[in-house]
Amino acid sequence: MLKSVELLPEKSSDELIGLLKEMWTIRYFDEKVDEFFAKGMIHGTTHLCVGQEPTASGPCSVLRSDDKITSTHRGHGHCIAKGADINLMMAELFGRSTGYCKGKGGSMHIADVEKGNLGANGIVGGGIPLATGAALTSKMKNQEDVILSYFGDGAANEGSFHESLNLASIWDLPVVFICENNQYGMSGSVKEMVNIEDIAERASSYGIPGVVVDGNDLVEIMNETDKAVQHARQGKGPVLIEAKTYRWKGHSKSDARKYRTREEEQTWKEKDGIKRFRELLIHEEILTEDDAENIRKEAKQNVEEAVQFAEESPEPGLDTLLEDVYA
Amino acid sequence: MAKEVFMPKLSSTMETGTILQWMKNEGDPVEMGEPVFEVMSDKINIEVEAYEEGFMLKKYYNVDDVVPVNTVVGYIGEKEENVPDTPPESTEDSESDAASEPEQNEPAAHGTESSSVRQVERGQIRATPAARRVAREEEVSLSDVTGSGPKQRVQQQDVRDFLQNAPKPPKATPLARKWAEDQNVDLNTVEGSGPVNKIYTKDLSAAQEETVSSEPDRIPVKGVRKVVADRMAESASTVPHVTLNSDVDMTEAIRLRSQIQDKVVEQTGSKLSYTEIIMKAVAAALKRHPSINASLSSDQQEILLHRDINIGLAVATEQGLVVPVVPSAGEKGLTALVKESKQLAADARNQQLNPQQMQGGTFTISNLGMYAVDGFTPIINQPEAAILGVGQMKETPTARNGNVELRPLTTFSLSFDHRIVDGAPAAAFLTELKQMLEAPYELLM
Amino acid sequence: MRELTYVEALRECMSQEMRENENVFLMGEDIGVYGGAFGVTRGMIEEFGSKRVRNTPISEAGITGSAIGSALTGMQPIVELQFSDFITIAMDQLANQAAKLRYMYGGKGNVPMVLRTPAGSGTGAAAQHSQSLEAWVAHVPGLKVVQPSTAYDAKGLLKAAIDDPNPVIFYEHKLLYKTSSDDVPEESYRIPLGQADVKKEGTDVTIVATSVMVHRALDAAEKLSEEGISVEVIDPRSIVPLDEETIVQSVIKTNRVVVVHEAVKRGGYGAEIASMITESEAFDFLDAPVKRLGASPVPVPYNPELEKAMTPQTDDLIQTCRETLQRT
Repeated sequence: MLKSVELLPEKSSDELIGLLKEMWTIRYFDEKVDEFFAKGMIHGTTHLCVGQEPTASGPCSVLRSDDKITSTHRGHGHCIAKGADINLMMAELFGRSTGYCKGKGGSMHIADVEKGNLGANGIVGGGIPLATGAALTSKMKNQEDVILSYFGDGAANEGSFHESLNLASIWDLPVVFICENNQYGMSGSVKEMVNIEDIAERASSYGIPGVVVDGNDLVEIMNETDKAVQHARQGKGPVLIEAKTYRWKGHSKSDARKYRTREEEQTWKEKDGIKRFRELLIHEEILTEDDAENIRKEAKQNVEEAVQFAEESPEPGLDTLLEDVYA
Repeated sequence: MAKEVFMPKLSSTMETGTILQWMKNEGDPVEMGEPVFEVMSDKINIEVEAYEEGFMLKKYYNVDDVVPVNTVVGYIGEKEENVPDTPPESTEDSESDAASEPEQNEPAAHGTESSSVRQVERGQIRATPAARRVAREEEVSLSDVTGSGPKQRVQQQDVRDFLQNAPKPPKATPLARKWAEDQNVDLNTVEGSGPVNKIYTKDLSAAQEETVSSEPDRIPVKGVRKVVADRMAESASTVPHVTLNSDVDMTEAIRLRSQIQDKVVEQTGSKLSYTEIIMKAVAAALKRHPSINASLSSDQQEILLHRDINIGLAVATEQGLVVPVVPSAGEKGLTALVKESKQLAADARNQQLNPQQMQGGTFTISNLGMYAVDGFTPIINQPEAAILGVGQMKETPTARNGNVELRPLTTFSLSFDHRIVDGAPAAAFLTELKQMLEAPYELLM
Repeated sequence: MRELTYVEALRECMSQEMRENENVFLMGEDIGVYGGAFGVTRGMIEEFGSKRVRNTPISEAGITGSAIGSALTGMQPIVELQFSDFITIAMDQLANQAAKLRYMYGGKGNVPMVLRTPAGSGTGAAAQHSQSLEAWVAHVPGLKVVQPSTAYDAKGLLKAAIDDPNPVIFYEHKLLYKTSSDDVPEESYRIPLGQADVKKEGTDVTIVATSVMVHRALDAAEKLSEEGISVEVIDPRSIVPLDEETIVQSVIKTNRVVVVHEAVKRGGYGAEIASMITESEAFDFLDAPVKRLGASPVPVPYNPELEKAMTPQTDDLIQTCRETLQRT
């Protein structure tokens, strides 16, 4: 238990240390992917969540294993936080047959249905109705599982967002909508694209609670998500959480980030959620500086091993081309 | 790499060739030097041999298709090699030809025309897939079938109707069959008196006496017939012909022939005929009258007086008229002329002439002396300046030294191109020729 | 055997499935006490309650997407869209989500859902409520596309669609709802998807017809028989998967084929069927060009005469059959 701050979900010291390590893993995973794309070692495109680690790890940390998530195009963090094997993730990015999607999905479509990850989604707002439908299943089957639907500030302007919030609200579905407001939909600043201060305000239109959290404060995120998940699980319907965060890198590869200043980026980097949580754990004497450093190195090493696994994995056979179109 | 099989350019005037038959089917193995297909040019039929060994991969054209020279007609290569589905554009390798006759070397220019026009040019037949399948299975040539569909498209039923109506080979005794073949009688027109209408010889003779049908037989104008038709029509319509006739007393020529016949037979194995004697005389006369051994340049701007005397011999074959050439006839003795003429005539009748043997003629002799023909007006074999027609030799009452004697006379008819030569020099040539044949010993000198 | 209308057959199939299988449920606009825009679900909310007959907001993308999400997690939803034209609003969910999830996820996850929706003109509903856009969805790998033409087929095909582990777009036809078959069994039965039906045997020309065109083809066949022309009418019943073999064998027999659908001819699914025929072994048996009949390339007009003129009618089929047989 933490002494200096209140943490609602029960978490042991090891679990808290595990969260720090997970966030480091997310960061090193995406930094590594960035490096490979820059070198042209993997093709296609990718969207990196460096800087947004707490909004991935925090909400997922309060879920039960039978709870589910839907993710976004910027989904590597969600995937890792929901318990994915980074070896299989990296193999998927390399297009290998051992990858989560047998090399057919790539960065934007990693799913792990068995672990409750209903998939990243290449369509902005595409996953929100799916989460709503999964919540409908939960309700109709009295399963008590909760669906956490990730999306960004851009998706909040899509019809699927509004239709889903409305449906989930009228049917009291167990879904938590979590908007990672990272300030930009590609180059479009949320200040230009939305004429309200907080996207969470939109919850009131659908008669559901809306909450704003600091996306770099892991503890706050965990607390608010925990409350929302309880609310949903108790059959009280959906909650909309907006986490204010920032993507440190460009939208995807080859983004010169001309739509924002380096000063702005620096301001946000100083709020680094990993650093904040690391300092908290040291302050709370759960961790020493040395321990923290070792954890960071381990995370980095795990990513290196994932790369090695991916590189050693076979390419999918051309005979798999027509597989899995139909069940 | 698969190698192209081209339509060869067999002579300088050849623009297209007609495919007479394919010796190889797609998929057949091909040895180097093996005949691949037979082509008919404007002058000749010839078998085109393979330059490569391998397999016949592709044939783009069918029998009777008329194909521009240098066009790729097929491919030979290794099994499974890919070749284009349609023939590639022709690769003209003769620059001079390309410069002088640009229009004939660019089939690509047809690319702007509608595909239906192109199909017609390629001799393709409009037929449905089903009709094609039935024709293939029943070995019917679609060109024989009249199409009842839109735009004369041949349909399945048309092929079946054709098969239904196609004559079945009539039954006949072997003797009747042989007799009919000799007499050129179509057995289908004969009603047999035997069991199951079997035809006996007596039925043939009975059939010959009655008129079987008022319908004419229809023979397509193609191949050699077509070439002869085109060339004769062109010559008759463009060349101002004048024909001079002169009776030649062949008494001395007969004597000469009988005196040296044995020697000739001994040396050549062939008999000396009047044709060779006349040829020898013509060559000698042409030497003295170079204006007759001439032709008009292709642009008609110049008269070409030829140094060589190359004499063409009109030979009737089953396919039609061909004119093999005895080169440098002026330099050759009678035995050489006999040898060459006989060989050329035999080759012509057996369709074994090669294109070179029909090129370079400067003067032509057409001898109808074996028929009951006295004189005629031969049509000039363009671009030559003149042609000599030779009639039958006939005992004719002739005034001689105040008496009437029977003498063997032959009418010589010289047609000349009045654009190239005038009447007087032509008359002088004919006169000289007559004198030479009436005193032929001079020829031996 | 009982006589049953197309609407009744659909309703009976869904009701029987819902009684048997608690994973099956309905979602759609006005499908509750209203009974659906064309009355297909009438009485069902009374039997199954509002949890399993879910009356939805006017929210095509939302309900289609929710159906996909629920299918992905174990349910077997049947979505009703009031008019098939509205598929355009749900197209992202169908084309980008339902059709692709399984493949994108490397074979993990199924989407066993059915989207039922009426297509077609003839009701004066004009341009935005009368289209036949089945070629749009047929083009997307991962979707199956069904077009029943009779009450009997509707019941058996819908059962197969519900049982199918893939997303199935089930095109009903407004003009067929009131038609009936006199041979609809009471018990549940299944007509496998991808199995064409020879609606009438013939020897001279094949008509491949879908949905309402099956009936016009049968009318044409009857009239042509008076002229001594024997028409075979084939109803593919599902266009994805397509029963190529039945069509090919028919063309091999008759040598001539006319492909007809109500959808606009340009880019219509008839082009796919026609190409399939010419690529098949039937090519060598074709004795006339493959003919296609479809609607004119215009939005569906309101005026009834214009509306009729836009789409193939019985007389058009008769004329085209005569042309292909050169009996003009």
